[in-house]
Amino acid sequence: MTDDLVLDVRDVKKSYEGLEVLKGIGFGLRRGETKVLVGPSGSGKSTLLRCINHLTPPDEGRIFLSGEEVLEKNIDAMRARIGFVFQDFNLFSHLTVLDNVRICQVKVKGVAADVATERAQQELERVGLGDKASAYPAELSGGQQQRVSIARALAMDPDVLLFDEPTSALDPELTGEVVRVMQKLASDGMTMVVVTHEMSFARQAADELIFMENGYIIEQGPPQQLFSSAANDRTRAFLNVIAEHG
Amino acid sequence: MLDFLRFGIEWLPALLKGVPLTLALWVIAITLGCLLGLILCWARVYGNRLCYWISTVYIELFRGTPMLVQMFFIYLGLPHVGIVFDAFTAAVIAITLNSAAYQAEYFRGSVLSVPRGQMVAARACGMSKWQAIRHIMLPQALRRVIPQWSNEAIIELKFTSIAYTIGVVEITAIAQDIGSRTLDFFQVFLWAGLIYLVLTSTVASLLSWVERRTHVPGVTTN
Repeated sequence: MTDDLVLDVRDVKKSYEGLEVLKGIGFGLRRGETKVLVGPSGSGKSTLLRCINHLTPPDEGRIFLSGEEVLEKNIDAMRARIGFVFQDFNLFSHLTVLDNVRICQVKVKGVAADVATERAQQELERVGLGDKASAYPAELSGGQQQRVSIARALAMDPDVLLFDEPTSALDPELTGEVVRVMQKLASDGMTMVVVTHEMSFARQAADELIFMENGYIIEQGPPQQLFSSAANDRTRAFLNVIAEHG
Repeated sequence: MLDFLRFGIEWLPALLKGVPLTLALWVIAITLGCLLGLILCWARVYGNRLCYWISTVYIELFRGTPMLVQMFFIYLGLPHVGIVFDAFTAAVIAITLNSAAYQAEYFRGSVLSVPRGQMVAARACGMSKWQAIRHIMLPQALRRVIPQWSNEAIIELKFTSIAYTIGVVEITAIAQDIGSRTLDFFQVFLWAGLIYLVLTSTVASLLSWVERRTHVPGVTTN
C-alpha cells in the first residue's frame, strides 16, 4: 500500500567524494505517523533527511511526497510542503519572530499578508511564544529560537515535518521545552521524521524507531520492542549506551 | 584670521556654485556604481564560471589602475575610436566604473559574512535562489556593509575633485580659477578644503544615522 504514504523513500544512495554515506535506504511514512531515526554519528541520518528535500540531492533512488515524486524541477514547490527544522535553527536574523513565521507563507505560497500574520500568530501561540512576536531571533534563547523555527515550518501547512537533531545545539536545560512541543505535535497527529538522541521523545512519541548504521537501516520497529529486545546486537548496544547517557 | 574671513565673504559664493555639480557627479556615480557593484558581486558569488571570471577581471582591472588614468582614457582616449563624451559624462562614467569595482568587493565580503544556514533555510522553505538572495541574503548583507560602504562613499566624494583635470567645473576647478585670478592659493584652497570637509562630515553623519536606523540585533553591531 504505497498510495496512502505521505512520504515514500525508495533505495536512496548518496556518496561524498567516493565515500558512500547512504547505501540504499528506503522507508515509508503514513499520515500522522512519527518515525525517529537513531544511530551513531556518521551513520547517515542527517544526510538522509537532507536527501528527502534535496538540500543534499541524492545520487540514486526516488522520493515521493503524497504520491508525487520529488524532483529537481519541482523542488521549490515540494520544499514548500516539507517542513524542515535545523539543528542550529537558522532563523532569518534580520526579521522579527513574526516575520520569520510569515515570510515563506507570503513569498512562497502567495498567502495574503493579513492571513499570514494571523496564521503566524496562531503557530507562535502553539509553540508558546505568542508574546515574542516582535522580538528578533538574537534576543531569544536557543530553545525559544528552535520553537520559532518549528512555528515557521508549521505555518507552511507541510505534508511532513523533518527534524534534524533539533535539540543538539541546545544547552541541556533548554531541550525540554523543544521536546515538549515536538511531543505535542506528534500527539496532534503531525506527520514527522525526527533525527534525535532524545530517547525519551523516541520512547513516548515515535510510532517507529529506525536504527541506522554505516549508511544502512539495520533495524526498525516500535520503540518499546527495540528498547526491550532489539534483534540486532549493534542496535542493542547503541540503545544501551544512549539510554545510559540520556 | 580676518583675511581668511574677508576672503571667504568675497569668494565663498563663487566657490559654492561648484557644490551642486560636485554633488551631482557624486550622487550619480555612487548610485550607478552601487547598482553595477551589486551585479558584479552577484556574478562573483552566485554566478557561473563565466560570470565569475568576467566580474573578477573587471574588479582587478579597475582596482589595479589609477582612477585618473581611467578618466583620461575615457575622456581623451576613447574619442580616438570614435566614442566621445562630454567632460561631465566622462567623469561620471570613470567614477562609476571605478567605484563599482570597490563596492562589489565590499558587497561580496558582506554577503559571504552572512551565515550559510540563512540561505539553506530560505531554500528549504521553498524560496527560489533569487527569492532567497532578495529577501534573506541582501537585506542582511546590505546592513552589514554600511560602515565600509560609507568609507567608499566618502572617498568617492573626494575623488570627484579629479574631474577638474578634464575640465568639469566643480569645486576644485572653481578654486583653481579663483586662485589664478587672486593669486591667493593659500586662502582659496583652505576654503575649498573646508567645503569638502563639511560635505564629507554631513555624508558621514547621514550614513551613520542610516546605520543606526537599520540596526537589527544579531545582524549588525552597535
